[in-house]
Amino acid sequence: MPSLKDIKTQINSVGSTKKITSAMKMVAASKLRRSQEKAEAARPYSSRLEEMLSSLASSAASGEGIIKLLTGTGNDQNYIVVPVSADRGLCGGFNSSINRETFKLVKSLEGNGKEVQLMPVGKKSRDFFNRVMKDQIIENFVDLNVSSTGYESALNISNKLQELYFEGKFDKCILVFNKFKSAISQEVTQQQLIPLDVSNSEKEEEKDNSSNAIYDYEPDEETILKDLLPKNVSIQIFKVLLESDAGEQGARMAAMDNATRNAGEMIDSLTLKYNRTRQAFITKELIEIISGAESI
Amino acid sequence: MATISFDLVSPENLVFNDEVGTIIVPGKDGDLGILPGHSKVMSSLRPGRVMVYNEDKSLIKSFFVSGGFAEINPEKCIVLAESVVEVNSLEKTSIEKEIQELENKEGKETEEQLSVAKAKLEAINVNYYDKI
Repeated sequence: MPSLKDIKTQINSVGSTKKITSAMKMVAASKLRRSQEKAEAARPYSSRLEEMLSSLASSAASGEGIIKLLTGTGNDQNYIVVPVSADRGLCGGFNSSINRETFKLVKSLEGNGKEVQLMPVGKKSRDFFNRVMKDQIIENFVDLNVSSTGYESALNISNKLQELYFEGKFDKCILVFNKFKSAISQEVTQQQLIPLDVSNSEKEEEKDNSSNAIYDYEPDEETILKDLLPKNVSIQIFKVLLESDAGEQGARMAAMDNATRNAGEMIDSLTLKYNRTRQAFITKELIEIISGAESI
Repeated sequence: MATISFDLVSPENLVFNDEVGTIIVPGKDGDLGILPGHSKVMSSLRPGRVMVYNEDKSLIKSFFVSGGFAEINPEKCIVLAESVVEVNSLEKTSIEKEIQELENKEGKETEEQLSVAKAKLEAINVNYYDKI
């Protein structure tokens, strides 16, 4: 049976853990608000870019050069998978679900005879894939800190991807990331980034109506498309990074909330145990005194 | 007089969103003046000034954009710009310094940055759209 002192120390240590987790929860909550605002602020740009693209996309025939971002290389052999995780842990299943999903995706692609390469974003997925599929990683991006560096961080990734694409290193690029649904729930989502999947966009019906009208293009459709496509890749990545950042904070907040609650419960049960043990000692001492007195 | 709704959007946020009288945007092949009821145009932009005017042609705000796109239809004008700053907040000395630094470097990226920086400097110095 543990002594009173042991239980007391245990209560104290659980108590300080509780303080830490509840502090982390507060921090995550305030960061979440900021990331969420950022993610929402970025939405108008990406949705409008998508609208513009979809009205242009129909007019693009297959072509060489940058248009390939839209039409694809014509092959379906080499894949590049980009898992987007967080740089830090302590956020529940946030990182591991990304890693698991990516792992599954890679295995199923390989099962179909495709070549798969990885480009992890975020320390947690980099570390994971460094352990399990080291030789397939061609590049990694960590410490992006998207909420403070902003658009620049997305540009780096996008430039690297496009460089590899035009060198013919891959035919398709798939992003795996946590989509921010609400503060407490994230959904692991796969998105094909290159070639652009126009049909997948959410507002397709709306666009059909608006794209009936004919636009004048200046200088001409092809030039605009050439400018627009690389930008779209960057914007999509930026959007994903922001969503993932907001999701991370949300997941951490939920995880820390749970941890705080568990610590509270643990303290309660330990306190009960402490009181019982103390009572048992007192009773024991009383019995000793009484039986001592009786024997005299 | 009629108004046209104008959105100026950067990747980070929605910079401007209001009903305005006239907008001038720096199209790739030349500046475009946009009034309510403008025909449908989609244009890419060069680095330069986006000027926003009231219905009575008084200047509301002028922005510097480093390139982007404009989508125009009779009721609405949307400008998607990669980076947006108000012309008033640009500082001449720091841009001149930037240009000097960039001129000493080489490479394709530097060239682009240089042309943006030069356009910035021009945006500060010129005033031909201040009154229309």
